[in-house]
Amino acid sequence: MTIDIGNMSRRDLLKSASVAALVAGAGSLAVPRRGAAQDANTVRVLSVEDPFFFSMKALVPEYEKETGIKVELESLSYDALQSRLVSAFVAKTSDADVIVVDQMWLGQYLDNGWIISLNDFIAKDNEFDLSDFIPEVLYSSNMWRGQVGTLPVAAYAQGVMYRKDVFDELGIAAPPTETSEDWTWTKYVDTLKSMEGKSFGGKPLFPTVVCGSQPSPIVHMFTQVSASHGANWFKSFPAAPWDFAPQLTSPAWIKSVEVYRQLYKLSPPEAINYVWFDAGTRFAKGDIGMFYWWTPYFYLIKNSGYMTGKKSDIMDKYATAALPKAEGVPQTVSLGGWSLGIPSSSERQEAGYAFIKWATSKATQKKMALWPDLNYQFSDFARVSLYQDEEVKAIYPYLDVQYAMMKQGNGKVTRPPVPGYTAVESVLGLTLNQLLTGTEEPKTGLERANSLFESILKGNLMIPYQKDSYADTLDGAKALMVKK
Amino acid sequence: MHTTIVRSPRALGPARKSFIRRNLPYLLIAPSVVMLLALIAYPLLFALRSSFYFWNLQIGPEPLQFVGFENYVQAFNAFDFRAALTNTLILSILGTALEFIFGLAIALILLKALPGMNVVRALLILPTTIAPIVVGFLFRYLYDPGGGLLSWVLQSLWLPVPAEGILGSPSTALAAILFVDIWQWTPFFAIVLYASLLAVPDEILEAARLDRASAWTILMRIKLPLIKRTAIIIVMLRFMQIFNTFDTVLVLTRGGPGTSTRTLGYSLYEQGLVNFNIGLVSAMTWITVLIVNVIVALYVFFAFRNEEW
Repeated sequence: MTIDIGNMSRRDLLKSASVAALVAGAGSLAVPRRGAAQDANTVRVLSVEDPFFFSMKALVPEYEKETGIKVELESLSYDALQSRLVSAFVAKTSDADVIVVDQMWLGQYLDNGWIISLNDFIAKDNEFDLSDFIPEVLYSSNMWRGQVGTLPVAAYAQGVMYRKDVFDELGIAAPPTETSEDWTWTKYVDTLKSMEGKSFGGKPLFPTVVCGSQPSPIVHMFTQVSASHGANWFKSFPAAPWDFAPQLTSPAWIKSVEVYRQLYKLSPPEAINYVWFDAGTRFAKGDIGMFYWWTPYFYLIKNSGYMTGKKSDIMDKYATAALPKAEGVPQTVSLGGWSLGIPSSSERQEAGYAFIKWATSKATQKKMALWPDLNYQFSDFARVSLYQDEEVKAIYPYLDVQYAMMKQGNGKVTRPPVPGYTAVESVLGLTLNQLLTGTEEPKTGLERANSLFESILKGNLMIPYQKDSYADTLDGAKALMVKK
Repeated sequence: MHTTIVRSPRALGPARKSFIRRNLPYLLIAPSVVMLLALIAYPLLFALRSSFYFWNLQIGPEPLQFVGFENYVQAFNAFDFRAALTNTLILSILGTALEFIFGLAIALILLKALPGMNVVRALLILPTTIAPIVVGFLFRYLYDPGGGLLSWVLQSLWLPVPAEGILGSPSTALAAILFVDIWQWTPFFAIVLYASLLAVPDEILEAARLDRASAWTILMRIKLPLIKRTAIIIVMLRFMQIFNTFDTVLVLTRGGPGTSTRTLGYSLYEQGLVNFNIGLVSAMTWITVLIVNVIVALYVFFAFRNEEW
């Protein structure tokens, strides 16, 4: 470029320079910026900031020392992580080499080609053994259409937590640690009712606490009741052929809403606004008799507050128990958790796989469990062997109960990870929230939700389902594990 | 890029030189115009195009088919649309009005030469500098029925607090969100109006006082008319800002209980960043843009009817 300044005043020259700078600035906005060249010795990990993250983070320096690979570990909140991942996928940018994937995102990410299948990595890795994983966990959280899309770094079931001291003082029999025909939701509600209006330690006692906030928290908690009662969201899923005609008006759903409504009536009224950790921290405060929730709360309630590391007053006063079941219906437990996957945009997929293998290995998971900070904050194992490890069991004495719940788990029934799930979850969450506080009949509310489900699913081209179905069964998942 | 600067005695012909001189102002603002078009017009046009397609990232990464006005029909028929629109209008109108009134009152107090006013002025701006998400968490604790400061104050004043808590009851939750917005943004009105009031000439005020005009008359007949233009602009800006409220709603109530605190901004967030329904959220964006612009256009028309600019 040639600039002739022969006839330009100093002022004109400055003006021209400013314009040039502006244009250059605009140009740099218009052209997508390429990420800074990645260090060949680095692996970027993008995680959610759930309890497992902290113990994993504590062990990363050890991994770096062993392998010489630098780990750039970044954590985000649940919503922020999902937004950032999808933005990066749509923009086809390489944002990370390993990402944390919620089970509800797995189908979407694999179907859209945003993450790669781990089948090939696992097949050619002679050291890797799938058989130590709990099949129900892999089936629920990590497998989609016959592919292993992720591996579990933290697996959650649900279970009951109750106050031993309260039960003793009120003369209430302790709930069982194994699933039993005598331990039903009816019995659970009756047990709670026996605590109604009672005080403990000079303070009023609430029999239980639920999550009432919409959409996800209330759906996460309610669907344990509905799964126990055999309620299905859709006419046929995960069994083939997939038919997403909603089934919310079935007697099992109505019964489940009635049970959940009773549970809310036995909870602090402000629980209508409670999200996940509110319910747990409320129990840890000491005025709740018994509740059920995700198994990480088996250890989180040792803290006063959420992940504070400060010991709660009830730390040595609670015990865990099996979830109640519905009369005459085989028990189904909700499974959830977090897994690690590799974005297809990553240029360091081998390094990503190596990190996943390390983070989900028995050795690392055990070290995470033995990390003493925050009152020992990790027992979310997906590996059978860790539930039998005496050293770990000494710190987390409830592992037998947790494992028994895991073995009855089916995440594909309780909250089906189908494309478009969050839209119908919004409707269900809102309906349940309204049914807790209002006087509307459960049947009427569920009929309205069913109609909205149908409208949303038709709008999302899920009814009629136009893509190929896949017969997604636990036995199929077990066969895949054996094949490896 | 290689740049060579040369000096020549006769570089530009007179005609070209005169063209540049004549159009220099336009050339200088051209980059700004281009940037504005790129940053505002392009996303809106992109959203307009997307609003006519079925494009849900949970179903597929690309738009699947042209659906005409189907997304607009879905948006209007959505279970939460009416509630969200009503709540948004209530928050926007009441919030803007109350923040203006309280802000003006504070600005008038700030004009008094009272001791400690410099500190008050500095402290006043603090709430507006806090991120709404943080404010949301702060008020979550303040509203906590089990010992939150605001719940305690209300109970101490014998005012009824719902058993479910201020945020848990449909009758109080929206008011609670409105209060948070007022707490955070009234200082913004106060500071801007205070700056405008400082510009009102002392001579005019002195003359009014000599004519024994009351403080109320001075405010209504002199001060407010003289700061009218500033007031109109900030009211418009705040209205548009509140219309998009979602962050405090997300932290405090997630739109509940029921749909009692759902706003259009929250619904947009949910459809866009939770459900990833790009087609539907684009249609909702355009509906929101049209509603806001109609309201603002009417407001500007009536507010500036007798003004000369």
